[in-house]
Amino acid sequence: MDLKLPHLGEGADSGTVVNLFVKEGDRLSKGQPILELENEKAVATIPSSGAGTITRIYVKPGDKLSVGQPILSLGDGESAASQPPAAPKPPPQQRVERAIQTPSPEQQPGPAGEAVEAEGAQAGPAAPPAAAPSIRKLARELGLDLTRVRGSARGGRIVLEDVRAYIQRLQRLAAAPRGPGPAQPTAPKPKAAEPLDFSKWGPVSRKPLSSLRQVIARRMSETWSAVPRVTQFDEADITALMELLKRYAPAYEQHGARLTLTSFALKAVVDTLKKHPIFNSSLEEAAGEVVFKDYYHLGLAVDTEAGLIVPVIRDVDRKSLIDLSKELEDLARKARDRKVSLEELKGGTFTISNQGGIGSAHFTPIVNQPEVAILGLGRAAAKAVVRQNTIQPRLMLPLCLSYDHRLIDGAAAARFTVDLVQAFENFQEEAVKLT
Amino acid sequence: MEPTHTEIVVVGAGPGGYAAAFYAADLGKKVVLVERDARLGGVCLNRGCIPSKALLYAAHGITSARESEHRGISFGPPTLDLAKLRAWKESILTRLSGGIEQLAKLRGVQVLRARGYFEDSRTLRLETEQGQQFIKYDHAILAVGSKPAMPKAWDLGNPRIMTSTEALEVEEVPQSLLVIGGGYIGMELGTVYASLGSKVVLVEALDTILAGADPDLVRPIVAYAYKAFKEVRLNAKVGKMATSGKHIKVELDLDGQKQEGLYDRVLVSVGRAPNADDMGLGNTKVSFDDRGFIHVDEKQQTTDPAIYAIGDIAGGVMLAHKAAKEARIAVEVIVGEHSAFVDVTIPAVVFTDPEVAWCGLTEAEAKAKGLEVRVAKFPWTASGRALSFDRPEGLTKLIIAPDTERILGVGIVGTGAGELISEGVLAVEMGATAKDLALAVHPHPTLSETIMEAAEAFYGQATHTFARRQSPLKD
Repeated sequence: MDLKLPHLGEGADSGTVVNLFVKEGDRLSKGQPILELENEKAVATIPSSGAGTITRIYVKPGDKLSVGQPILSLGDGESAASQPPAAPKPPPQQRVERAIQTPSPEQQPGPAGEAVEAEGAQAGPAAPPAAAPSIRKLARELGLDLTRVRGSARGGRIVLEDVRAYIQRLQRLAAAPRGPGPAQPTAPKPKAAEPLDFSKWGPVSRKPLSSLRQVIARRMSETWSAVPRVTQFDEADITALMELLKRYAPAYEQHGARLTLTSFALKAVVDTLKKHPIFNSSLEEAAGEVVFKDYYHLGLAVDTEAGLIVPVIRDVDRKSLIDLSKELEDLARKARDRKVSLEELKGGTFTISNQGGIGSAHFTPIVNQPEVAILGLGRAAAKAVVRQNTIQPRLMLPLCLSYDHRLIDGAAAARFTVDLVQAFENFQEEAVKLT
Repeated sequence: MEPTHTEIVVVGAGPGGYAAAFYAADLGKKVVLVERDARLGGVCLNRGCIPSKALLYAAHGITSARESEHRGISFGPPTLDLAKLRAWKESILTRLSGGIEQLAKLRGVQVLRARGYFEDSRTLRLETEQGQQFIKYDHAILAVGSKPAMPKAWDLGNPRIMTSTEALEVEEVPQSLLVIGGGYIGMELGTVYASLGSKVVLVEALDTILAGADPDLVRPIVAYAYKAFKEVRLNAKVGKMATSGKHIKVELDLDGQKQEGLYDRVLVSVGRAPNADDMGLGNTKVSFDDRGFIHVDEKQQTTDPAIYAIGDIAGGVMLAHKAAKEARIAVEVIVGEHSAFVDVTIPAVVFTDPEVAWCGLTEAEAKAKGLEVRVAKFPWTASGRALSFDRPEGLTKLIIAPDTERILGVGIVGTGAGELISEGVLAVEMGATAKDLALAVHPHPTLSETIMEAAEAFYGQATHTFARRQSPLKD
């Protein structure tokens, strides 16, 4: 039997293999990780949906995989070797084994070789490509391997349009100048800067961008040009809050949770969002509507080796501080281990980016679309603050609120910030107590 | 005598051979069609598909007259005029083979009544009633077919031991008939004789009849056999046979127990053997498998570049429509087109009562190959049409790919299954999905609705049956 790439979730239908954990001949059990797939949102581990001995692996690191594409073949030692009882032999089984020997254009080396390979939404070897007999005849006449053509009709059926598009693509690729990089036949991109030969000025090294980095780059520039962003700075006095933290940390630890400033920040933010629902909304320009969300799912920017990802903690308003602390730790670890599922990256309503752990002050975060605001936290530092006409040392936390100015006015942001500072400074001990 | 030359010579004028000859002629080739029988049409037309269907139809009249009693319509006991039955059957065969003859003439295909013998890879010697004749050809298409297998031990030269060929002649309706082999030929002819009044005993070496079809599709046929036949013996082997006066004495091995019986006649239907002997193929580069069938590639080309083989002689399932498809492919390859027998869906139909038909992947095959499939079924007990003619034992099922929801196979058992299966073939060939079948309106009240409703059942939405959804909710 063939294991195929399962549905990854809404909007995600492909990815690049970054790691292959198995090799041919391995015994595979159900649920055992087979490979790591990197796509736009995250690196996901794909577990095995079956058990058996791996007879063939169809993919290698660097391959692009689409949903439904076979990853590997499993034999169980029995059905692979023995034939069904000697019954009148059904012909298709026997016929399939005869290989097609018509040469196909893409077997010839050319600049397009790799790019063409990538299109194939290969059906498993179990069933031939879904296409009408007339289309298959045409393909045979053209020497076209239909397993490489992506079918657009229901169930992945290949229609004449698909064959036409595929041939046109082949032609475009064949006509493309032989360049150092792979041809880019997709939608026209904003003009890239003229490539510079940096080695003229000194030694350089080059490294391909990971697909995660490419996605980050694309999304950042999209957001940058789409969202008129303003950042509001302030500071919150968290001297009292840190005392609370210090007081309760041991108790939390006894319950297996680490109480951190971020846990407090989640609570402070969600309380403030409730007072300012516009910050928990999305703008739907096409519909001319604002979408207010009655749920509070807070994204948390996490720095990983591969780059930035933003896992989401759901229903922050309905969870206790201890639960949030546990979940926070869990999620950060999963993110760094690249184990966050796609589902866990979706549905955020507001994002917090805490750079305090690394050490920084104010910065200007970029709104995580389709959210409309993001809160940056710097490192809290002791500062000389005037309180009742005396200078006191207070622990001050830098706050940076970036927001989408299309939807949110400066005054609203100022009010939000004031309330947020209040939330940090007057954090209710009740909320910290363990029950 | 100077050899004549032709572009293509086709040896054998069965459904593969005449299809190849006609198609080649339609494409402008000079074609000679060689047939050793007086009548064109091969086994299918003369000693197979057509006469068996005629007899099944005639015999069914008896069964349906009897079955109509509980509907308040009774007839007297049937009387048989076998001469008339044979004449009627013959008239059909004559008419059909005459039609083929006519079509050959209209196309300018030269038909030669002769036995063919290959002198070498490019020369065929023809032994006609008028004497020998040699033909030089560019390409030969072998369509010489197969004949009923008759194990040597049983070949006593006694006409009471029949193959399908003799059985189709209906010389008499024996009191008792032993049918050896529960494949489609044994089942069809057993049905004919049982309806005509013979006490039929069926023995089959395997543990099921109609091996190859899914068990749930065979079930109604098994039920019929147990009702209409005197005995059905599975896992049974036939030992010695001997003439015993006007009977045949047969030794059966039933699970290690020996049993002897006397039968008026015996029908041996244990398979078919290739017809490639005494044709001089040893003078060509044609090669054979260990059962005597000719090796061909997906272009129907034998190991001799000038010679193609199609139909039964090329092995695989021995069905007329498979031969006809291979005929097209061989001719297309000869005229230089890109053609190949690749991913062709060959439906199978067994004309029992009820009929059973399937195409594409079967459930058993999917299991054997370890393929994950979904199976959607619609029982005919829920079909108004089936109930209206008193035959609710049918079943329509679809074998569906879980990810794409594509129809990989269709199986039908029930009256008219042979006619219904073509929609399944179209679905499989077109790469249609269960949704396609569910969305296409099927007329009411017809049996074809069962295909649509099986597809609807896949989505848990069949009107006339309740089935749990098998596809994830989406769209």
